[in-house]
Amino acid sequence: MTAIAPAPDPTTSAPASRPGLAPALRAEWIKLTTVRSTWWTLFAVVLLGAGLTTLLVGLNAEWLASPEADEDPRAFITWGMMLAPAAAVVLGSLVVTSEYGSGMIRSSFAAVPSRGRVMLAKSILVASLLFVVGTASALLGYAGANPFLDAQGIGLPLEGDVLRAMYGSGLYLAGLGVLAVAVGFLVRHTAAAVSILLGTLFVVGPMVLLVPGAFGDWLDKVMPSNSGGGMAAAVSFNPNLMEPWTGFAVFAAEVAAVAAVAAWSLRRRDA
Amino acid sequence: MRMILGLDAPTAGSVTVNGRAYGTAGAPLREIGALLEAGAVHPGRSARGHLRWMAASNQIPASRVDEVLDLVGLGEVADRRVGKFSLGMGQRLGIAAALLGDPGVVVLDEPVNGLDPEGIRWVRVLARKLADEGRTVFVSSHLMSEMALMADHLIVIGRGQILADTSMADFMTHHAASHVLVRTPQPDQVVRLLADHGVEVTRAGDSLHVHAGDSAAVGELVGAAGFTLHELTLVRSSLEDAFMTLTADAVEYHATEGVAA
Repeated sequence: MTAIAPAPDPTTSAPASRPGLAPALRAEWIKLTTVRSTWWTLFAVVLLGAGLTTLLVGLNAEWLASPEADEDPRAFITWGMMLAPAAAVVLGSLVVTSEYGSGMIRSSFAAVPSRGRVMLAKSILVASLLFVVGTASALLGYAGANPFLDAQGIGLPLEGDVLRAMYGSGLYLAGLGVLAVAVGFLVRHTAAAVSILLGTLFVVGPMVLLVPGAFGDWLDKVMPSNSGGGMAAAVSFNPNLMEPWTGFAVFAAEVAAVAAVAAWSLRRRDA
Repeated sequence: MRMILGLDAPTAGSVTVNGRAYGTAGAPLREIGALLEAGAVHPGRSARGHLRWMAASNQIPASRVDEVLDLVGLGEVADRRVGKFSLGMGQRLGIAAALLGDPGVVVLDEPVNGLDPEGIRWVRVLARKLADEGRTVFVSSHLMSEMALMADHLIVIGRGQILADTSMADFMTHHAASHVLVRTPQPDQVVRLLADHGVEVTRAGDSLHVHAGDSAAVGELVGAAGFTLHELTLVRSSLEDAFMTLTADAVEYHATEGVAA
């Protein structure tokens, strides 16, 4: 306990050249991999994304092959991707709000004073992680579910819209991750951020169907769960949606708008 | 202190460290290391994990992490989750984080909070050692007795205003009231003698409080007149008393002492 500091070492005390994004990315990566919540939420993405798809297709394969079926089996092949977003937005929020909750955000901004760089690094890593895990979950779900369809003679080849829905799931979750990071920076509170995001995706999203007329139709199209969610489905249960890529472009614009507001406010508010 | 680190924006003015605003330097942790509050750590992360991301963010070699962990005595609990740490261990981790970049300026906000007496002594020795190595050590504290032992230079802030910015020695000379305690079998004569020389004296029981800063002068004066002295002591008030005098009007909340008659 009486140890004292070593003399300043010239190799560590010499100021380094201005660091770019790379050190911030490395720091954020270490942060992500040294807390348990990252692994739990990613595990939940896989469980919901792949597990629910397998379960639902397994239960419905016989009906889907029967003449009474009024749904396309392709709508079921990424079924879990309707609920996996819940885990994805929890991950994206926690990456930010756990730092505000513990006061660690001040350590973060002291270490990397450019707040925009902190936000960018977090967004890039959350998006990359969710793209990989989201796509993998969709493929895993396909691998688990398609044998049930095959057994009923309605197996789906991994091509066209089915293939697009695989990486589309990754893209959708990646976008939601960026959205969650932005909302996290805006509200700075885990419960508030998660409530806003889950409410938007799972309550407001489906509820706008109740809004009548052309305005209701338009709202239904642009809610993030619909504009972006179409990308994660080979065929959507909702016939009102935009084309997958068109919808995803709208979704990306929505995410970018929220992220821009978050970045703007982040620069102005006290940490 | 948060303004120094660019965390809060000042309503007016600016803060520079080594002539630059914080954050315009490439790797800020190598210039200024700060213990802000022991809580600024994710409770689910290990001490090593916390220091590892900080090191990576400022391109500090990872080997430095183990160095500072050993330095603050956390080497053995480096992989335990910070949420399980005691207040004192958290404080040590914060100090480790401040020293991580081997900075020339070390900012310690209330460093002895939650530390046991051994830990308090350790912080004092460490701060002194860092200062002796030529670093600037900037410590904030509400514990005046601690500051009296630690500080060379003192800045007193009350209600957002800087009330004093001076060396510790100067501060004590100017703000710490001192008097000479005199006990003598001939108090009346001594009071008269001193009053004749323009020295103010108050009587407190059988002793005299002579309002002079120099006990030797008082002793010589009384001795030359042939009076007997039983005690002659220079009494200097503590830094705490001096601080209280200085900030009497400036502190935000007064505790009501007694009830007006």
